[in-house]
Amino acid sequence: MKTLYIMQKEIRESILTPKGFLWYILTSIILSVLSYLFLTNRELSLLDQGTMLYMIMNFITALGVLMGLVFGSDAFAGEIERGTLEALFLSPVNRMEIAAGKLGAVLTNWGIIFAVSLPYLFIVGKGGQNLLMGILYLGILGTLLSIIFSAFSMGLSARIKSMKNSLIISFFVFLLAGSPVFISAALRRTWFGRILDLVNPFADAVNTFDSVVIDSQGFSYQIGRVAIICVYTLLCIWFLKRSAVKLEM
Amino acid sequence: MEIGKEKIPTMTMKMEVKGNEQEGAEDVPPPIKRRLTMIIEVKDLVKKYDGHTALDGLNFNVEEGDIFGFLGPNGAGKTTTIRILTGIIRADSGQAMIGGHDVFRETMEVKKLINALPESNGYYEWMTACEYLWFFSKLYVVRTSRQEILMLLEGVGLNGRENHVIHSLSRGMKQRLGIARALINRPKLLFLDEPANGLDPGGRRDIHDLLTDLNRKHGTTIFLSTHLLDDVKRLCNKIAILNYGKIVRAGEVERLKGTVEDIFFMSTKEGAL
Repeated sequence: MKTLYIMQKEIRESILTPKGFLWYILTSIILSVLSYLFLTNRELSLLDQGTMLYMIMNFITALGVLMGLVFGSDAFAGEIERGTLEALFLSPVNRMEIAAGKLGAVLTNWGIIFAVSLPYLFIVGKGGQNLLMGILYLGILGTLLSIIFSAFSMGLSARIKSMKNSLIISFFVFLLAGSPVFISAALRRTWFGRILDLVNPFADAVNTFDSVVIDSQGFSYQIGRVAIICVYTLLCIWFLKRSAVKLEM
Repeated sequence: MEIGKEKIPTMTMKMEVKGNEQEGAEDVPPPIKRRLTMIIEVKDLVKKYDGHTALDGLNFNVEEGDIFGFLGPNGAGKTTTIRILTGIIRADSGQAMIGGHDVFRETMEVKKLINALPESNGYYEWMTACEYLWFFSKLYVVRTSRQEILMLLEGVGLNGRENHVIHSLSRGMKQRLGIARALINRPKLLFLDEPANGLDPGGRRDIHDLLTDLNRKHGTTIFLSTHLLDDVKRLCNKIAILNYGKIVRAGEVERLKGTVEDIFFMSTKEGAL
């Protein structure tokens, strides 16, 4: 129950604020522009619907992860900087309950982004054969990636106690995670590219979307990548737990 | 609202300080009786930060019902002591008991007995005063109605401010709200770290009256960390002076020879030598 009260406080603090709404309005505007271009631009509209859906799914995932990093970096370091964490630690709530409440709020944020993006996914992927499967995978893998990156940045903010520094490091890790997506297809096919792809949860998610939406491959093809994402999820939750318990003010 | 469950009888026993100079030690009562009324028992507490020793084998006891002044110059280790006793940080070695519970092993039990107002207490500025207290009442699993929260706010002189956003409150009002938050679980022991910092004389006097009232009417033990000697003279019946992580002088204010100022300056000078 205490976790729920902390989660409720976090949601009111970060999401149900003018700044929070601005994020969602911005998300909605960007998705509107992307969808409009996919459907009306002469070159983009030549893409098949699977590819369009895949591209917009990548964008939604990256946005969710980015917002998770921002909220995660603020989780402990922000409260230390504002002087509010000590009163929270004085109360008979254990550190894991506090961390779980904060993580729950980040996941709520991801849930809102996912809900906001649903109409755009339906518009762009309408008529495509893997639309529902794509949405299902986006929901599951997007949630796991949100946990991975936000738990990591929350753990980091508890350890280094500086919101600015934890945000910089988190962004750097996110860029590293996203780098296989940005490198050329030829480089990705080399042994180095393949290893980088395999050990990287963000690339695993993107490759799974590709496999499901464009190549129409079944779950048996995705097991390895999904398993790696699950391992990362557990590792990052463990990192968050260790960091929250060890946090000294 | 009833803040303390029962009135604590007037204590006649003395504070014990081991291994450090103490005045009035000849009046120390028999051990069994003393142990029953001690709310804080600290033994050989050590805390180091990156090689710097913040607490160097700290020993002291506090009896129930006292207003205990914990004095010392900046950097003496006052805040570190409070953070250890409230379960926020861990000591490197030593023992600390509060209300008969081990602070390190039974932290949650201890947290139910105590509350504190930290020195640099921040507030969720976007909440109203009422929401702030309601949030903390839920974390303490205290059944608190809106009426009780209003009474608590009234008790600290914030009547009529319940729907004001904390951001709009003055520093003194925020400090009162912090005290109200620290009373939400009706603590037996209240830690206050420099509660009068930044307050005008009127605000300081109000806080003094509030603390005296809490102690006399509800028997709340108050552990007051401060370097404002005037606060100590007005409020405390016992003091301990901390310097370089050690108690250098302790005892009942009335029994210590000299004024609080003299004792403080002499003690901190001795500690530095």
